[in-house]
Amino acid sequence: MAEAKPASQKIWLVSNDNATMEVDRAVVERSMLLKNMLEDLGGADVSPENPIPIPNVNEAVLRKVVEWCEHHRNDPVAAPDDESDARKKTTDIEEWDQKFMQVDQEMLFEIILASNFLDIKPLLDVGCKTVANMIKGKSPEEIRKTFNITNDFSAEEEEQIRRENEWAEDR
Amino acid sequence: MYRSGGSGPRNRGSILGVLKATELDARSKLPAEIMVTILNYLPVADQMRCARVSHRLREMVYDDTRWVSRLKSMGCWDEREARQRFEESVRRRREAAAAAAAANQSNDGKKSAVASSTIFDATVEQQRRQRPISELRDGFETMTIGTSDPAEDPAAYLDVFKRVKSVRGGARQEYGKIYKALAPFYFDLVKAKSHTDPIVFKAFIDPEQQAQMLANLHKFAGSDWAEGWGLRDAKLTAMMNIFEAAVLREFEQGYEFWDVDGRMHRYAHVLHTLNGAKTGIELFIQKHPLFNDRELEHNPMDCLNQAFTDDVTLEPSRRFFEHVLVKVNEQAGILERIFPDPAIVFWGLTEKVAEDIIAEYTTPMFDEAHERSILSYLKAISGIFEQTMRFFQSLTPPKGPEEEDLEKRAKQLTLKVFEPHLDLYLQEELDFFTKQAEIEVSQWEKKLSEQDSSLESFYMSNINRSAEKNDFLSSFKKVIMMPVTVLPNFPIGSPFAITKPASSPAVTANGSAALTPQTSRPQTPGLGNEPQGRGSSPMPGAKAPTDELAAKAAIMASKLEGIKSLFSIEVALDLVHKAKGSLGRAAVLIPLGGQVGGEAREQCANIFIALVRILGQRHVKFGFDMAVDHLSQYNPRDVSDHDQKGVAPLVMFIELVNVGDLISQMIEVFYEQQLATPKIADKNDFLDPAGLAKKKFEQMLDESVAAGLNKGIDVLMDEVEYLHGTLQLPTDYNPTPRIPVDDGNHRLSHRATMGSMAELDIGPTPTARRIVDLVRSHTNMLVGTTEKSMLDVFNGEVGQRLFTAICKHLKRQRISTDGAVKLIADMNLYSDYVRSLRNQDVLPYFAALRELSQIYLIDPGHAKEMATVIADGDRFSGVFRAEEVYEYAQRRADWYQVRRSVERAMYGMDCLVM
Repeated sequence: MAEAKPASQKIWLVSNDNATMEVDRAVVERSMLLKNMLEDLGGADVSPENPIPIPNVNEAVLRKVVEWCEHHRNDPVAAPDDESDARKKTTDIEEWDQKFMQVDQEMLFEIILASNFLDIKPLLDVGCKTVANMIKGKSPEEIRKTFNITNDFSAEEEEQIRRENEWAEDR
Repeated sequence: MYRSGGSGPRNRGSILGVLKATELDARSKLPAEIMVTILNYLPVADQMRCARVSHRLREMVYDDTRWVSRLKSMGCWDEREARQRFEESVRRRREAAAAAAAANQSNDGKKSAVASSTIFDATVEQQRRQRPISELRDGFETMTIGTSDPAEDPAAYLDVFKRVKSVRGGARQEYGKIYKALAPFYFDLVKAKSHTDPIVFKAFIDPEQQAQMLANLHKFAGSDWAEGWGLRDAKLTAMMNIFEAAVLREFEQGYEFWDVDGRMHRYAHVLHTLNGAKTGIELFIQKHPLFNDRELEHNPMDCLNQAFTDDVTLEPSRRFFEHVLVKVNEQAGILERIFPDPAIVFWGLTEKVAEDIIAEYTTPMFDEAHERSILSYLKAISGIFEQTMRFFQSLTPPKGPEEEDLEKRAKQLTLKVFEPHLDLYLQEELDFFTKQAEIEVSQWEKKLSEQDSSLESFYMSNINRSAEKNDFLSSFKKVIMMPVTVLPNFPIGSPFAITKPASSPAVTANGSAALTPQTSRPQTPGLGNEPQGRGSSPMPGAKAPTDELAAKAAIMASKLEGIKSLFSIEVALDLVHKAKGSLGRAAVLIPLGGQVGGEAREQCANIFIALVRILGQRHVKFGFDMAVDHLSQYNPRDVSDHDQKGVAPLVMFIELVNVGDLISQMIEVFYEQQLATPKIADKNDFLDPAGLAKKKFEQMLDESVAAGLNKGIDVLMDEVEYLHGTLQLPTDYNPTPRIPVDDGNHRLSHRATMGSMAELDIGPTPTARRIVDLVRSHTNMLVGTTEKSMLDVFNGEVGQRLFTAICKHLKRQRISTDGAVKLIADMNLYSDYVRSLRNQDVLPYFAALRELSQIYLIDPGHAKEMATVIADGDRFSGVFRAEEVYEYAQRRADWYQVRRSVERAMYGMDCLVM
């Protein structure tokens, strides 16, 4: 019964702040974590009364993630990562995703964490690329601020690293 | 180092800060693996800025694998070199440790320093690494950023890739060197609006250097995988194309003036540095004057027009290939002067020559030949193929960096030229052979039916049959062996000229009527003298042999006059000859190897199978069937002439067995020489179709022979009985006594008989002689032709049946005491003959027969003794029982006189009843 109509079958998720939402199974299955889980469970026991808890993701973020999954529900499933050298090359972020990622930085990081937790690789990639674009051209100090990283280098040390990698500096 | 040393106290102070940061700002902490992913998406410059953010990020950025993969993407990371270096450093560190330990024992004071170097395994390595880095940094500083003056040290830019080392842990530094040298040009070029803008073209003026730089940048672009790399790559490619087009123009101009050592040489090298000069080579080959050379325009039809029908002359094509070869080899020298890698160009050129010149030459010829006649087509393909192969093999390619396998290349190219023809050719070859063979056999059959009557007029030669046969066989074996051992123009006459006169009688009067082998065949029954044909001079003077097999066929034909019958060894030879021709042609393709070679091999095997099939099923089997048919129809009473030594159909059949045996041997030799030796068929593979076909043929032959012999024995015995019945005079064994015999006076009668005996010939009767001669002549004919075991069975059977026939005959005779002498002589004759068969099984029968014949010799007066003889079973070693002997005794002429006394002696009391 669970396998009969997996596409239109509904799944209920609950965020860590107790917001329940109803999602198509096809959408949910963008998450490898949930997909595997549903396959193991057979998906039979999930009901509005007994939703799947998504700990450490709050309602806002979860809605955002589900929104992305809705939009990408028909994407072909990426081939199991062939980490060949040539395909490390970065592809551009598509337009919809760019707009989707226009959120504040806190939300961006939450989405990345959530997609990492839920194992939604394409979303994680988009998030990381967005972050990379944020960092591009920034000074170390600015980067520290962005990521809230404490500087544990002494001034001399930092200077030494700079000199070491002088070759990479923009002309 | 610094972490453990300098930052200790500072760290302690900031622990609280770190703690606070993690607690308060949990919102913006991303896990390490995500940070790594993010870093991967960053351009190199940004990655380096990130390295300055914190220790943690620096470690991520500095991670060696990150840089190794970049080096790999440019194709300049050598894992083996890296491993070697690593092992070397490990070894060095060990040595250093050992030395330090030694120093430690002698000097405690330096303990701390030593400890530090042994605790941190990587220290030595790090120090080693540090040194080159600092040197490197100095190097960077002398090389001003940007491109202000590359003229100062252009090599630093041009050969940047050659200087890369594969050092584990040093990948970042190595990449740095490359990046330092190339990135400015790269990013500048990408930003450039037109092809005149990029600094590369300004900083380097020489086209050689420009090409090298572009090639370097292209390689470098491989390691650029930050966002937007696709655009940058496209831009770079566009620039390269513009540059390449310009260089190509220069090259072309040089080409037009044939400026080999000047512009052509120069720009070919420029193109080579840029991207292997593919376009240049293409252009060069495309526009090569060789393809417009009028001198190379040979007319392929010459090969056909200058030859007779069904033939080709390969002379014009040979000239053509020679011509082309000279031209192409000339090019090799020129190519060496122009191109840095002439071998590639040369083979490119050759390929085009093969396509445009050779294929243009051969294809119309093949098509035309195919239309004109299949035979000339087959010959043309095979001949031209060999020439083409030789042509490619005798090319002299310029010396490349790596030695090319000329043989392999030649095969490839030849295959390319011939590929479109080969399937058709192989099919045609097989069809042609099959058709020819069928025609040959059918013609022969037709001829045979026309001269069917000649079978009856078959005459035995009066010369020693088996000697002749042996002689013939041995010479034939020699003949068959010849193709491999002797040159084609072997003076064929000699070995046969010697054997010939020895075995043949003097030339008879009708020898003149049989001058050539063709006319002297037994189609001329009218000349039915025994030595006919045999007497004719067989020598091929009339018909000059064109090759050894044809010549042999001629010789055989003349020698075989006498034994030609239902199938002919001549036809077989012809077929084998044809098969050899076809095989020879097709086998040329086998060395090509690969699929085509395999197909050719298969087709060769098929030709052999077709040969065996047609020869076996159509020809030999048919002949045997006919012969057996004739045998079964034989009725001695229908034949008027019994003077000849043999039963005609049986003689014929045995001759057939001989011929069949010869053919079988011929096939065997042919298989050995033509198929097994050149590895067309695998002798050890019992599933090999050719081998199977051969076995089937042999089996068929054996079966036919067996069936025929079975019939043959019947016929032979029919004949024996017939002879017995017709020739044996009643007086043979029961001579009319010249002096009237007084029954009582046996002494006198005995004397008288002795007297008459003395007058008479004591030898065997003519009938017995005839029979023994008849049977012997037949059994002798088989000697050496059929298998030993089969011969034994045959002889045994003949003996048995002969025995039965004699017994039967004996029971019909009436034998007197006088005639017994004759009878004994007859029995001795039979027995002698049978002994000559060397068959142990039948000997006792004839020994018994001899014993038996003695009962007729016993004087009627000795009836008692006769009785003991009759009753003595041991005497006949169990062949005859007493009752049988008694029966034979009844055949005595004087039986009724002696009966009483014999019976009395035997049973003792029968007279009492009377």
